[in-house]
Amino acid sequence: MTVWRQAAFLLGFQLRDELRTGEVIAVVIPFGSIALLVIPMAVGIETTLLASIGPGMYWAVVLLFGVVVTQRRTATSNPSHRDALVLLGVDPAARFAATAAASALLLLLFEIGVGLVMIVLYDPVVAGWGWLALVLPLVAAGLAMLGTIAGSVTDGGGALAPLLVAPLAIPILLGAAQATEGLRLGTGILRWILVLALVDVVLALAGVLTARVLEESSR
Amino acid sequence: MKRPIEIAAAGTMLTALVAGLAVPPDAVQGDVQRIMYVHVPSAWLAYLAFGVTLIASVAHLRTRDLRWDRRAGASAEIGVVFTGLALATGMLWGKPVWGVWWTWDARLVLTAAMFFVYLAYLALRRATDDPVIRGKRSAVFGIVAALQIPVVHFSVVWWRSLHQPPTILRPGEPQIDPPLLFALLMAVTAFTVLYAALLRRRVELAEAEDALLTTARIEEPVAGSAVVGPLSRGEGA
Repeated sequence: MTVWRQAAFLLGFQLRDELRTGEVIAVVIPFGSIALLVIPMAVGIETTLLASIGPGMYWAVVLLFGVVVTQRRTATSNPSHRDALVLLGVDPAARFAATAAASALLLLLFEIGVGLVMIVLYDPVVAGWGWLALVLPLVAAGLAMLGTIAGSVTDGGGALAPLLVAPLAIPILLGAAQATEGLRLGTGILRWILVLALVDVVLALAGVLTARVLEESSR
Repeated sequence: MKRPIEIAAAGTMLTALVAGLAVPPDAVQGDVQRIMYVHVPSAWLAYLAFGVTLIASVAHLRTRDLRWDRRAGASAEIGVVFTGLALATGMLWGKPVWGVWWTWDARLVLTAAMFFVYLAYLALRRATDDPVIRGKRSAVFGIVAALQIPVVHFSVVWWRSLHQPPTILRPGEPQIDPPLLFALLMAVTAFTVLYAALLRRRVELAEAEDALLTTARIEEPVAGSAVVGPLSRGEGA
């Protein structure tokens, strides 16, 4: 079985697991929506203010709650399942790719769900829908890979993983926030797309190249 | 025992101190500008230290030699101290010049983020006891963490920033008077030598810590108290 087939098989396994538990859909998306509901109570309910800060708050929520999505219990995070995969000869890079891809898809779902809530609550000026179709997956992929790497180096997440992910995700947050601001102002956003794509490529390389080392270091 | 590198660090630090106090004050900022003789070398050391962490992390993954891991950890620790010093001296300078301790400037925010990234790196190291496992995990994170360094450095170019763009490392002539440039370069040299001395001491300390941990492991009973060595008659009673 090729690495790609192994990754596709594990991806399907993880997505079926999510479908069964519904952790992201039933827990994390409502939790993120509550955060968007709470923010106006802290900063004020002036509609023009909320319309201008809405996209920024949205990206902050995506970053912070995205960590919860990437650190969820997956079908392959259990030590005994992991050992079984090692014995079956599953390539560590395939396991990284599958976990990151599953997290990316779920993060994309989270971004869409929470994005709709943000539009309803904050009423921001949303422009450049076509570009957003590019920005959202790039952000989801970057956060997913970062979260997967953090989960591996901390051996399954724990309290340390969010501390590892949050400051390192700042280039992703900046790229996303600047791209949406550029869309609102009608200025060019290509360089921010390139920043996001570059971060994704670097993280993909880091994840794939270090997957075997991290598997060796897991207990 | 004092080593030549430590004596050199003390000597260059003293020379840099004298140079920093002897050169004339800045024409606009006055004596406040002298903070730059600590702030700029601290920021430089942060880049240097985190760069060494990156190189040592890559070397550790390639060779699996724990000495590289200790260098990476020691360098990150020194880098965090000097990043904190750069942030603190920047705030001390910012209050009289900008009128605020802190401003939401790209360079400031990203430097603070870099500080937290490497604090997280140190937390990750502390979270794992086994030196071999710690080495592998922290090396991977040390490589990913380095993503932050170019973002911090180029932030003053990418965003319209309150923080000034590069003064010395820029195309064309440095934008600083020769006496002030001399004092600054002296300070950078002194801090770099100090870094080398601190790194050496910290690596030795890390070696001693690992040796102590290994000794403690060897002395642990392999199968708990269930298995004991043969006893002579009456000894176990």
